[in-house]
Amino acid sequence: MALQRSSRWSQRRLAPWLFLAPGALLFLLYVIIPIGQSIWISFYDWDGLGAAKWIGLRNYSDLIDDDSFYTSLYNNMWWLVLYLLAIPAGLAIALFLNQTVTGIRLYKSLFFFPFVISQVVVGLIFSWFYAPDFGLLPRIIGFFTGTQTAILADERYATFGIIAAGLWPQIAYCMILYLTGLNNINPEQVEAARMDNAKGFAMLWYIVIPQLRPATFIALVVTVIGALRSFDLVSIMTAGGPYGSTRVLSYFMYEQSLSEYGTAMGYGAAIAVVLFAIMLVFISLFITRMLMQERNA
Amino acid sequence: MAEVTLRAITKSFGDVKIIKGVDLQIADGEFCVFVGPSGCGKSTLLRMIAGLEDITSGSLAIGGKEMADVEPSDRGVAMVFQSYALYPHMTVKDNISFGLRMTGHKPAEIEPKLRRAAEMLQLTHLLDRKPSQLSGGQRQRVAIGRAIVREPQVFLFDEPLSNLDAALRVQMRTEIGKLHHDLGATMIYVTHDQVEAMTMADKIVVLNGGVIEQVGSPLELYHRPRNLFVAGFIGSPKMNVIPGTASPAGEGRIEVTLKDGAKVTLDGGGATVSSGQSVTLGIRPEHLTPGRVGLKATVRLAEYLGSETMFYAALADGSEIAVKADGLAKAAIGSSLDIGLNPAACHLFDANGMAIIHGDLTR
Repeated sequence: MALQRSSRWSQRRLAPWLFLAPGALLFLLYVIIPIGQSIWISFYDWDGLGAAKWIGLRNYSDLIDDDSFYTSLYNNMWWLVLYLLAIPAGLAIALFLNQTVTGIRLYKSLFFFPFVISQVVVGLIFSWFYAPDFGLLPRIIGFFTGTQTAILADERYATFGIIAAGLWPQIAYCMILYLTGLNNINPEQVEAARMDNAKGFAMLWYIVIPQLRPATFIALVVTVIGALRSFDLVSIMTAGGPYGSTRVLSYFMYEQSLSEYGTAMGYGAAIAVVLFAIMLVFISLFITRMLMQERNA
Repeated sequence: MAEVTLRAITKSFGDVKIIKGVDLQIADGEFCVFVGPSGCGKSTLLRMIAGLEDITSGSLAIGGKEMADVEPSDRGVAMVFQSYALYPHMTVKDNISFGLRMTGHKPAEIEPKLRRAAEMLQLTHLLDRKPSQLSGGQRQRVAIGRAIVREPQVFLFDEPLSNLDAALRVQMRTEIGKLHHDLGATMIYVTHDQVEAMTMADKIVVLNGGVIEQVGSPLELYHRPRNLFVAGFIGSPKMNVIPGTASPAGEGRIEVTLKDGAKVTLDGGGATVSSGQSVTLGIRPEHLTPGRVGLKATVRLAEYLGSETMFYAALADGSEIAVKADGLAKAAIGSSLDIGLNPAACHLFDANGMAIIHGDLTR
């Protein structure tokens, strides 16, 4: 009897860990250990093949003196700030599409389309859109000003051109999140608010938006993380150019350690660690908020 | 003064006509209940009065003013929704005062109104809670509080008790009744529950298929249903209906021959029938007495409820009949049962279901 009880007790203790094991193991193998390795490598001078040489914090001190690092950091900041526009824009489109009109499903899928196509294709489409001679945008600008501007070849505009391309699918993503959120609002609540004299903006501000908080939170998380890890569009549209002016941290890291010209594994790892630290700030904020919410619920 | 007047109101969704011409007068301070089966249009009618649905044709006046083009918030009406529709992100206090804030009341004006409503509904200790922290009955009270503070001329209730358990429903029923007495406002209440309708209403409006079947006081509908639909809808358990034929029996009396051959002679009360006319006899279970000579039936089921006993029996032709008997009555299943029926309590309906004779015992 006592034996039975103790075996059942240990079963209860063990079972959760057994169920967690496969996921935890993979997470450890593919996330936790590589993070440790990156940090470790960032203290070495290593070309990826030969012997690694311990140089302590030299990679980091080099980074502080590297202008390209500041360009990347500065561009990442612009990405972060401008990418956040996807949230209100997505909300606006979601509100616009949240009505019952014939064919609304078709319009919804059209708006959702940019999210479905690959980032590489988005990059190509926008490259053509910006291309001098045959691109649509330079022609429009040319029509009004008489001179054509090559957006992606101009240091002043190139980053913003890429961010605009990135916003296109990101807005669609936020829109989907908000459409789902709007679906969950009880129509009787909207009616109650109508009876309470909440009209137009007041309805949106006091009734609709507060109830979309979960959607806003997810939209914020995916947008911030999406902005910080932007890489594909930069790689496709400008490859960091012109003169390295559109680099972001992840692209800079790739350039330094993985591209044809870069084999500086230690230096790249140091960039990765910095990017990780920046992300960690936001991720900690998100996780804290989530935990707080769970405690309140 | 806030009487509500509906004239030839119709409502169509596309080609589907939901409300097919309703004329109704609800007096100031009256408690009016719309009752009917699902899909009869009672909620739609209420929502049209609230201004949440457009009126396809006809006119609606509240307090003598035409309301068709007036915003819901400007009609002087407040509504309690079936789902309560409380704002989940606001505290009870904010939920109740939201309407006042939206209509530009100052905090100093809002506070006393809020306090008064909260006291009236025993919500004072809950003002800082969110709706998710309240029980069903408390949420219901907050929804009512939200309506009260706006001091409307007309209260609209859309099946407000259907999400509560049975005990709470009875309690809230009396509370709403008391509220009506205290406030003296006009109230329009939608329900599919005829017990709610009977217990609360000054005036019941029975709706079916988008038209009014009958309007009257609860007892008027019970004793003098205008047609078979109202007869079947009001009263629980349902009125028994037995098909048969009628013939004049002299001296203004009418003889009804039921399907199983039994004969009943009724006082025509001025009504006339043609010989052999097919009719339906209606008699409520509580007006049948077991153990007396009359109909012959076989007991199918007996329910002993203590205060009363329900017998469900079959007549010779197989038609079902329910009998409400004294709590001490007993009969074995399968045994034969003599059922006495009081001719004065018998209703008679013609082939179209319209009443020829009212079995009104209050006459």
